Amino acid sequence: MRVIGIDVGGTNTDAALISDEGIVLAMVKTPTDHDDILCSVRTALEEIIASHKGPFPMELHLSTTLPTNAIVEGEGDPAAVVAIPGPGMNLLDYDFGFPVYSVKGYVDHRGRVASDIDPDEVLSAARQAWNDGARALAIVGKFSQRNNSLELAAKQVVEQAGLKFSQITLGHQLSGRHGFPRRIMTAYLNARVAGIQQEFAAVIERLMSENPIIAGVRILKADGGTMGLAESCVRPIETILSGPAASLTASLALSRRTEANTVVVDIGGTTTDIAVIAGGEPVCQRGGAVIGGFNTLVRALYTVSIGLGGDSEVRIHDSGVVLGPRRVGKAAALGGAEATPTDAAVALGLAELGQRDKAIAALKKKAAGAFASWESLAQAIIEAFVLRLCTAVDEVYRTLENVPVYTVSEILAPPDIRPRAVIGLGAPAGVFIPLAAEQLGLPWEILPYHAGANGIGAAAARPTVSLSVHVDTEQEQMIIPELGLRKQIKQALFDQKQARRAAVEHTLAYAQGLGLEECSEIQIVEEEAFNVVRGFHTVGRIFNIRAQMRPGARRVR
Amino acid sequence: MAKAKRSVGLIFFPAFDWCITPDHPEREERLLYTRDQIMEEGLLDIAGIYEYRPYVAEDKPIQRVHICVPSVARRVSEPHRIAVGGSMLAADLVLDNKVDCAFALLRPPGHHANRVVHGARGFCTVNNEAIMVEHMRRRLGPSIRVAIVDTDAHHADGTQDIFYNDPGILHISLHQDGRTLYPGTGFVTERGGPAAYGNTINVPLPPGTGDEGILYVMENLVMPILEEWKPDYIINAAGQDNHYSDPLTNMNFSAGGYARLTEMLRPDIVVLEGGYSIEGALPYVNVGIILALAGLDCSSLREPDWKPDCLRQPQHVMPIVKNVVSEVRRQWETRHQVKREDVFGRGTNYVRDRSIFYDTDQIVEKQHERIKLCNDCSGWREIYSQAAGGRIGHTQVAIVTVPWLACRNCRREAVEAYERLQTLGRFDQVFYQDCERDEYLCAPDHHEPGAL
Ligand SMILES: [Zn+2]
Ligand SMILES: [Zn+2]
Repeated sequence: MRVIGIDVGGTNTDAALISDEGIVLAMVKTPTDHDDILCSVRTALEEIIASHKGPFPMELHLSTTLPTNAIVEGEGDPAAVVAIPGPGMNLLDYDFGFPVYSVKGYVDHRGRVASDIDPDEVLSAARQAWNDGARALAIVGKFSQRNNSLELAAKQVVEQAGLKFSQITLGHQLSGRHGFPRRIMTAYLNARVAGIQQEFAAVIERLMSENPIIAGVRILKADGGTMGLAESCVRPIETILSGPAASLTASLALSRRTEANTVVVDIGGTTTDIAVIAGGEPVCQRGGAVIGGFNTLVRALYTVSIGLGGDSEVRIHDSGVVLGPRRVGKAAALGGAEATPTDAAVALGLAELGQRDKAIAALKKKAAGAFASWESLAQAIIEAFVLRLCTAVDEVYRTLENVPVYTVSEILAPPDIRPRAVIGLGAPAGVFIPLAAEQLGLPWEILPYHAGANGIGAAAARPTVSLSVHVDTEQEQMIIPELGLRKQIKQALFDQKQARRAAVEHTLAYAQGLGLEECSEIQIVEEEAFNVVRGFHTVGRIFNIRAQMRPGARRVR
Repeated sequence: MAKAKRSVGLIFFPAFDWCITPDHPEREERLLYTRDQIMEEGLLDIAGIYEYRPYVAEDKPIQRVHICVPSVARRVSEPHRIAVGGSMLAADLVLDNKVDCAFALLRPPGHHANRVVHGARGFCTVNNEAIMVEHMRRRLGPSIRVAIVDTDAHHADGTQDIFYNDPGILHISLHQDGRTLYPGTGFVTERGGPAAYGNTINVPLPPGTGDEGILYVMENLVMPILEEWKPDYIINAAGQDNHYSDPLTNMNFSAGGYARLTEMLRPDIVVLEGGYSIEGALPYVNVGIILALAGLDCSSLREPDWKPDCLRQPQHVMPIVKNVVSEVRRQWETRHQVKREDVFGRGTNYVRDRSIFYDTDQIVEKQHERIKLCNDCSGWREIYSQAAGGRIGHTQVAIVTVPWLACRNCRREAVEAYERLQTLGRFDQVFYQDCERDEYLCAPDHHEPGAL
């Protein structure tokens, strides 16, 4: 099916139409109207549809910034959290910055209920939250990913009392990963923006009925994948930071390189973003996305932003040229006031942009007294840029290679993630990427369409689905928190193979339930197995398995 | 966002793929629930708590402490090298002022490993704290003063052995009375060698000692001694088998008690030792230690099965604890009045003969040790070590060690002894260990079969 990808960015809304064969049929760029983002979507969509001849049905992929903006700007429904922390770190020390009402009850690390909730206490906490102005609620328990029963019971108490919260988010639905404070923040934000996303979904549905040619809508996520519209109303928090993800997806879609390990360098005016592809897949952040100062459990792509770009400030020190992190404005060649890295490239004839004589004049002015000629300054700027970029790339890899690991084998034989090629995007990429790649000793590629690549990224994004499966055969339980599943299992029947199979089958069934037919390849991405030994006897086994649909992007030409 | 009041470097290495044997207390599962608890509490998201990946230690740092027979390569496996590297990294983080304090939360443990290593004893092969301390001394010089406070329920006999005659180290071990628990040593009469008399302090505690007793020892004995001795660095060998739920011991300590102990001690570096109540104790004790190091509130930390009775010591315990404390205090206060010859004799050497059992590897070692009584330094040392059993067959080695700040005479005598012992033909190998010159020799050198 043809796909329209729309990415509502800070400045522009990018849209692209891709054919079944992955050919870009149309691209549209319109300025983003921040007061009416829906209008921006509509405009882009209508322009694309207008350019699109024939009765082919289309799927719409949307990268929405509404929840992201709401979080950053402190908007959304007033929300509060009812937390079930049990003993541990003092909840006050987390300093959440939003109302958290703590109640009794405790689930331990094995998922055993050590003490129950007190319904009256839960109700009075929820009432208090309501009286304090909350209209959306999150209920989050420590270790609820191991046992959701306290969260479910608390929700029932609140609902039965007739408190009309517009949304009740339960912590365990959002992620199977550990991290009680992150779960609290994620659930809180989710509850806060759910209303916004639901409103947005309603408008999109209306848009679909107006344009019957749109056969389906998928929403972009922070991990570069997509999810259904209905799902996005349950877990709107997953839509955050989908813009940067769309940009990386675009590079996956457009790249011709066949190497499994690449580094993707997106050079903009002010900043350069570095992302890592290892084993053909983008590397994700260890903990989860950070947004507006909130640490969440949202699976998000790992990118490092450095203050270096085509419009970076150029300063001359005794030690040489220093670039950024400030942006001085547009290049002198385009009428700016000061010489920038872009001007150095234009003056040296490495790039064609604006008026070369203006770039040279600005460089002459800057070189005065410090450099013998504008040429030597321009050369020094280019070199400084390339050096800074290469150092940053190296640091990114060093950081990733030093991520703590917990097995001897991972220390002794760490996976090779080092890049085999550099993929460059962004206007200045053509100048700096080949030079940086040479210094790194790697082949390189500059992607086409870098001007509107996010629309292509949105269009090329594929669904992502991942589940955490926790099996504890001593307790005869299998738990999949994201599905709210707690299932009795027979210990004798459950070995590692069985656990693996269950993880794959559940992920497949879940994906198919979401209407994803093409989801053939389910892979196991994390796996742990432990013997549970008590009194010198093995009494059970614990398996922690994470399965996902193999992520990736459609190839685009 | 939570913020630490003191920054903490955490080297967490649970070695999820290493065990002594699958059913052994030292097995893959040991820190599984601790990992889950630390991650769930979100401790790694606290501003000021940083996690680091350990490195794999080379031979040299290990040779600064141990004589591994026949070689480091043969005795020390990769998991041990990672535990050693992690402990050394903890020290480096503190020495480089990258963090205010560090916690090497890792396994395998080390405090039962003696200077001479024929195999594993008490689940330990090499001594993480000792190697770390020697690494610190290599970096900062021999004048640094390091106090090791070992709060494992078992006597830290390995650490005691290594630093027994070392005037730069103060070694305090709190443990369940050796008459009731492995390794059966650690009595108040073990007070240090001729050059470091009084620097080894043993506090044997009766079974059943809980928060009240241990915190009493901390407040009335450990803290005043540290205040007086003024160490440059305090290291806590934080075994967690004092816990009321530990299957191998009979003590009554709680996670809250451990946190309080850490708050009092304010160690620069904490290294995990034993602790085998892997579900009921370790997750909570380790969270408590991390919170306490970070200066965060520990008052809501409690084991799920905690009841006030857990903490209650049997009635007879406290008088015994108080007795031990007053006896050890008296010893401490009068340590300079003790005449060396009254303890070590009038000869030119201090000699001790010991039999050492390696329970983990089923080896028996017979050791004859001779330390020169020297007025100018802590004295060079000669050890004859004969070991048999387990999978090592039978071996007999001689060892010569030269201490830090050795006098010229002692070094000359040691070098001569090293030469002479090689000519005797009695020994399979002769070792020479000179920390100050960082020189470690062995004749003949052990080569792995098939190696060049
Ligand atoms: Zn112990
Ligand atoms: Zn001497």
